[in-house]
Amino acid sequence: MAEWTEVNFGPQHPSMHGVLRLRVKLDGEIVKEVEPIIGYLHRNAEKIGELQFYCDNMIYFDRMDYVAAMNMEVGYLEAAEKLLDIEVPERAQWIRVMMAELNRIASHLVWLGAFGLDLGMLTPFFYCFKEREKILKIFTEVSGSRQQLNYMSIGGVYQDVTDEALDHIKTFIREFPKELNKIESLFVKNDVFISRTKGIGILSKEMAIDYGVTGPMLRASGVEYDVRKAQPYLVYDKVNFDIPVSFKGDNLARFLVRVEEMRQSVKIVEQTIQKLPAGPYFNQKAKKPLMIRLRGQGEVYARTESPKGEFGVYLIGDGSMRPYRVRVRSPTFKNLSVLPALAKDQMIADLISIGGSIDLVFGEVDR
Amino acid sequence: MNILLRLQLFFQITGHYASYFLAYIFETIFFLIFVVISLIAMIYIFRKYMARLQLRIGPNRVGKFGLLQLIADALKLVGKESIIPKLRDDFAYKAAPYIVFIGLVVGFVIIPYGSFYWIGSLTITHSNVSLILFFGAIAMMPIGEVLAGISSHNKYAVIGAFRGIAKDVSFEVPMMISAVSLVMMDSALSRTSLNFETLVSTQFIPFGILQPLGLFVFMVAMIARSSYTPFDLSESDSEIVSGYSTEYSGMRFGLFYMGMFGSIFLGSLVVSLLYLGGFNGPYSSYAGFIYLLIKGLILVLISFLIWLSMPRIRVDRFINFGWKILLPISIINLIWAGFLTLGVIS
Amino acid sequence: MVDIIAEEKTKDGRKVIRVAKENLIELMKELKSQGYNLSLTTAVDYVDHIEVVYHVYNMQKNEYIIVKTETKDNHVPSLTSLWNAANWDEREEYDLVGVIFDGHPNLKRLFLPEGWVGHPLRKNYDLSKAQYINMDEDGNDYVTFDPEGGW
Repeated sequence: MAEWTEVNFGPQHPSMHGVLRLRVKLDGEIVKEVEPIIGYLHRNAEKIGELQFYCDNMIYFDRMDYVAAMNMEVGYLEAAEKLLDIEVPERAQWIRVMMAELNRIASHLVWLGAFGLDLGMLTPFFYCFKEREKILKIFTEVSGSRQQLNYMSIGGVYQDVTDEALDHIKTFIREFPKELNKIESLFVKNDVFISRTKGIGILSKEMAIDYGVTGPMLRASGVEYDVRKAQPYLVYDKVNFDIPVSFKGDNLARFLVRVEEMRQSVKIVEQTIQKLPAGPYFNQKAKKPLMIRLRGQGEVYARTESPKGEFGVYLIGDGSMRPYRVRVRSPTFKNLSVLPALAKDQMIADLISIGGSIDLVFGEVDR
Repeated sequence: MNILLRLQLFFQITGHYASYFLAYIFETIFFLIFVVISLIAMIYIFRKYMARLQLRIGPNRVGKFGLLQLIADALKLVGKESIIPKLRDDFAYKAAPYIVFIGLVVGFVIIPYGSFYWIGSLTITHSNVSLILFFGAIAMMPIGEVLAGISSHNKYAVIGAFRGIAKDVSFEVPMMISAVSLVMMDSALSRTSLNFETLVSTQFIPFGILQPLGLFVFMVAMIARSSYTPFDLSESDSEIVSGYSTEYSGMRFGLFYMGMFGSIFLGSLVVSLLYLGGFNGPYSSYAGFIYLLIKGLILVLISFLIWLSMPRIRVDRFINFGWKILLPISIINLIWAGFLTLGVIS
Repeated sequence: MVDIIAEEKTKDGRKVIRVAKENLIELMKELKSQGYNLSLTTAVDYVDHIEVVYHVYNMQKNEYIIVKTETKDNHVPSLTSLWNAANWDEREEYDLVGVIFDGHPNLKRLFLPEGWVGHPLRKNYDLSKAQYINMDEDGNDYVTFDPEGGW
């Protein structure tokens, strides 16, 4: 590396999803070294978590992966409810699964659109966001807000799903697969798209495991591992779905795995609508005035499958009303750490497309 | 009878030389108005078309159907503060947008437009080598882009300029070879084939039918010249921010923007002139200009469709494509044109 | 066999192995040879000592265990030689808790800029003192207590 140019990509850059900053050493068009610099969105949610009551922490988890807030809530509540010994009623668990899967679709749609933009495709972005908007409408109807939902709460969900909302979800689920096929064909039937993704940024199985990569990226590298199957939480053991796996490990594999995951999510939502039991949606032990007085003792670690990968929450309680230590295993943080190795000796264009294929959400990387 | 002579007749009372002088000035003014209006119309059509493709509405606030939106945008760009980098090469930095725009305007000046109604021929430049002049004029535009990239002293801009050079070198050679094969074929039909107007008017069948490979190569080259999405390597917004125009703002950026849209329109006109028969057709002495505009507009819409549906090709792949696919195709086309020429002569 | 101080269970029934920090690398090597991979590194500040918690999992056996070690002088051996997954996690824990991982190839702050005073996840961290961030000409962040000197 005799001569190189150092170029700074980000934090303000059209394709650095959020505030990623890359210090790139370039030899002409070839990337010789990438150093990700993160922390521009750092709020130290872990410290904030220690200063808040258990029930207040939810909003900080909403703001971690802000495009998949429901999954973040599921992750936190899995840990908090175990620590606080709160049972979740059956109906609330099914609602949570339904919402988490809807949000997984929304999150993957955002990724799909942004990935197209990274490669220079303008149009699919709007098709993706049109579909996502339908999901956000459902969320608005259910919880009252679009992105930072704060819908679930300790012991259940904030309010019950009405029949009207269920009808809307049914309509969405009926129409979405057709739209998804349309969106997918916008990508995969394009030769230039294939040439930009096939064989680019190959992540081998060993490397993925070594770097702690999880989620669709791991599954695109040929490891059939999904926390929803491996250690089912909520009612994932009662629904029937498959784990899409690809053995290629390149950008195209990640694309296809995510598209297929959306189809599986549709399948799960369909089943949750059919099997949604009647009953209370909230545990009376954790109702509003009592909620802040919940005390937890001991330590728990809950793993959930967020759209980006394995989202883990490690809570330590010291018997007081606030957690002693909150630790979050952020999947995108781990997935991003593999970028320098993947992008080495690639071209600038590939650096961008590999970065796009990771599915970065900076609220979660920086926490 | 052409537009220059008609204007000269109109100003005849001022005397011989003064009337020609005034005629030239007014011709240029009319022409500039035509270019600017056609660019504004193009950008308006583009925005509406893009909006329709992307499930949006597009401009609809300023004026009826948003027709005045582009004028509002232009006024905004003119009124904006032009932020200029401190470490620039001043003259080159300021000249670059004008070079691009002048290259575009000169390109528009040289191409033949055919005849329209009683005015007669609208062609402005009458030269026996206007084809060569035309290619010379549009070769000015990359110079402006490279100057812009290097003079702004920005790393993104320099990368953009390098990419632009790599791109230009790899598509201009096949483009010129396919133009040569046109001239070769036309030389059997007329004695002044380097005259753009004769080259077009002697197309008994559109050359695109005789030389489909040449049409393909030339169309790709024109897409690459106007650098929109599959080949917008030099200004790829998701990789190198905005390429050579990163450090430009205000009306200087506006000139680059107009240069881009203008070269789409210019490229479409040239492709329709060279390969699709241009202004030839029934009653072409009255409606030739209309034929040309319609053909050009259809090509513009096809260009927009390509623009909006394609991801960006990688720079090394484009260079491979240029040298390993376009160049052989254009040489095959040249040989094919040779066969045709001999066939026509015999 | 590595000396294990104690084996216990967490509240949600995961196996916890406590080990002295001298034996940590040895134990992790053994776990790695059994097919375990590192998932998460956490450091918890218990005021008088710091507990470093490693979450390791085995995909084949579908097993998830926790390894804990304690340190009183903030020094813990780094696991970067075993798993690359430890790299950024250890940098983060160094940044936020102040554990020094011996043998880490690039132990710099990750989220906070170099020069930040204190480690925010320590229990004795003073939250009332604001620090302001700025960037110098070479693109490196730095920190100042002066409100005018940064943002």
